[in-house]
Amino acid sequence: MELVSVASATPTSTEVTAAASGRTRAVGAIMIAIGLFTGLVFAMGASSAAHSGLTFNPVNLSNAPWHVGDLTVVTRWVNAVIALLMVVLGLEVIIRSPRRAVMVRFGVVAVLFLFALLFWVVRTPGPSPVPVINFTAVLIGSSEVAMVLIFGALSGVMCERSGVVNIAIEGQFIGGAFIGTMLASTTHSFIFAAVGGAAIGGLLGLLLAFLSLRYLSDQIIVGVVLVTMIGSFSSYLNLQVFTPFPQFNTGTLAPNLAIPLISKIPIIGPVFFDQSGFFYFMLILVGVVSFALFKTRYGLHVRAVGEHPRAAATVGINVVRVRYINVVLGGAIAGVGGVAFMASQGQFQPGYTSGLGYIALAAMIFGRWRPSGAVVASVLFGLSVYLSQNLQTYNVPVSTYILNMFPYIITIAVVSGLIGRVRAPAADGIPYHRE
Amino acid sequence: MPDTTSRMVTLRRRFSSTSPIVIAFIALILGLVLGALIIIFTTPVILNAWRDIFHSWSSPWHAVKVTADNVGAAYRSMFTGSIIDPPGLWHSITTGKGWNATMTPISETLTYATPLIIASMGVGIAFQTGIFNIGANGQAVLGGMAGVAIASMLHMPTIIHIPLTLLAGLAGGMVAGAVPGLLKAYTGAHEVIVTIMLNYVIYAFLLFAVTSTFLQQPGQQNDISRMMDPSSQLAPIFGVASGLRVSYGIVVAAAVVVFAWWFLDRSSLGFDFRVTGANPTAARASGINSRAIMVLVFLISGGLAGLAGIVQAASTTHFIDGGFLIGNAGIGFTAITVALLGRNRPMGIVWASLLFAALGVGGRSMQASTGIPLDLATIIQSAVVLFVATPVLVKEIFRLRTSPTTTVQLATKGWNS
Repeated sequence: MELVSVASATPTSTEVTAAASGRTRAVGAIMIAIGLFTGLVFAMGASSAAHSGLTFNPVNLSNAPWHVGDLTVVTRWVNAVIALLMVVLGLEVIIRSPRRAVMVRFGVVAVLFLFALLFWVVRTPGPSPVPVINFTAVLIGSSEVAMVLIFGALSGVMCERSGVVNIAIEGQFIGGAFIGTMLASTTHSFIFAAVGGAAIGGLLGLLLAFLSLRYLSDQIIVGVVLVTMIGSFSSYLNLQVFTPFPQFNTGTLAPNLAIPLISKIPIIGPVFFDQSGFFYFMLILVGVVSFALFKTRYGLHVRAVGEHPRAAATVGINVVRVRYINVVLGGAIAGVGGVAFMASQGQFQPGYTSGLGYIALAAMIFGRWRPSGAVVASVLFGLSVYLSQNLQTYNVPVSTYILNMFPYIITIAVVSGLIGRVRAPAADGIPYHRE
Repeated sequence: MPDTTSRMVTLRRRFSSTSPIVIAFIALILGLVLGALIIIFTTPVILNAWRDIFHSWSSPWHAVKVTADNVGAAYRSMFTGSIIDPPGLWHSITTGKGWNATMTPISETLTYATPLIIASMGVGIAFQTGIFNIGANGQAVLGGMAGVAIASMLHMPTIIHIPLTLLAGLAGGMVAGAVPGLLKAYTGAHEVIVTIMLNYVIYAFLLFAVTSTFLQQPGQQNDISRMMDPSSQLAPIFGVASGLRVSYGIVVAAAVVVFAWWFLDRSSLGFDFRVTGANPTAARASGINSRAIMVLVFLISGGLAGLAGIVQAASTTHFIDGGFLIGNAGIGFTAITVALLGRNRPMGIVWASLLFAALGVGGRSMQASTGIPLDLATIIQSAVVLFVATPVLVKEIFRLRTSPTTTVQLATKGWNS
């Protein structure tokens, strides 16, 4: 942190504080506005007799020996409480102007908003054919999206902590999904698929690293062009290979591997311990990346290279090598993420990642370039992606297309609300010239 | 004469082995080679021929011949579909007939290039200001929607209707551009993420508009818009009967090129833009209002993209549907690669647009006649740009003489700027 202010002509610290607290108040005001909207529309907009059901049992009841009682709440009152909570959080942000975790509070408000929306759409009497929210199913569905986002965000953390902007995560997702479906369809092994995805992702990372480290090309431009190239290549191969030989793209889903006993715990069990192997691998990876970056000597080198490469080089760290390693590893992680996406969505189709790679990038920024933060952000984005795709089942009086905008708008809002509060690694995206 | 001498020097510099033109040419060749390799490795006939090379003495020769035939057929149809078909040309010259058919490929390439030039000029101006506008495709879509709305809902004489339609397109693009511009200026949100996300938002909005609003063609269930009034369409230059689609949109493109040249090279605002792009800190120190520049550059860039969108609709389909500018081949995405290849200079962008338009149109003809997917054209385009973005790489591959003044063209600034 201290290294930065020396390196660039930043405004003085008092200016920064003043600007930051102004922005903090703005975020607080937005939180209150969301709270008032929730109160007016989702609470007062529901008739006083309307109620919403809440169930906690997984859709597939066969592996649930337990049964948590269903809950019925009065829509107006539960949403009024949620709205009040939002307003209180917003007021707290404005009055106390906390220096930390403002965006976490914002994230809480966003998640609360999504749940208030859910309570409102399932109310009876109301237009919804389904009178209950399956809380567990919502969490499971969101966790599938969040898992993919976490892979992408971890890839971003790996690359950007070492000072290379990996905007090609989307391309690594596409490449991973493509190879993944091919290997999973032919070998029927998701381990081979994951290895293949890691290889293709790592290869793309290597290409990005090669062009940006050896030839000092603009990393963002190279990344975007790589995504275009991989996107077209996958669509080309889809027509040339998958159309005539559909046996290469059967779209098998990864089976769930239930962990004995703990997968039977209500709610937590099905969400965390009855998932595909990719999910567990992702959990392990979050720990490994956090540990490697913040608790090991190598992680210290990486962060030094990302903050002040010249200083790092002075103490004998090979800047270019560290960056190569991290970008290739990061690419491999995103490649596995692509396989995980395929394994939860099925058959490869051109363009079906629909910008998840970029949302993962935003999740990484929202998570302040930290694995733990990226997880929190990915959960929020995962929930919004899941809801945007599934709210239609509740017969919401809003067009599917408008609902589909939801995760993208949330991403823009989050990225806009953050600035001044988060800071990228100081050397992120800047080519390193060896003198 | 000193004038002649300096011109000679300029000429020599232009065609010396390290000049951008030579690099671009080599990049194109490398891109085509890559495309050929992709064809070879994905065409079963060719692969089978190579698998069988030990079957008889003539087999290797047969394999080479099959390869050359298939790759040759693909690139031949790319050429004849986008530029000219030599036998057809000879036929037209000797008999004086069939000129329309002979000129169709060039007409198609120009039709494709027209909106591309306009959109790329917008992306190029943004690049010169240090702004990466990946949102050109979304801005073009919104411009197309606004233009089609005006063109289909209002009825008036051509002389007013066309300018109004084009202005609506411009305004639509500006609205889409204003969002990332204002967000970047006032919250610091990085334009790359915001514009990519907006592309998806606008795309969803297009689908919404052409399925469930007044923009949908009455009586239609599909995702298709109303037809533009004939008074708002950009007419084919050689008349509808000629079958040549090249339209008066080319006049709009020419005007945009002149505007871009004047703006960047002659206007003081354009100078401020370029200073901001070259050195934001110095620009701020010299009193340039960087916030205003951020917003303005996005208004201009987005406006041009929007104009490109409506020119596309007004000169080809005369309506828009859910597939308008979809995917990697959407003009807004191609515009990024065109601006990079054309080094963000107006004339460079014109040449690059023509080249990429020829590749795009040729790709369509290749897909029709050989079944090789059109996406190959986009792959070649991106490869060309990757090679151009890394001139040092091309020089190393060909061991070209590197002038000592060669420096990095565009330095990334990352998230913190």
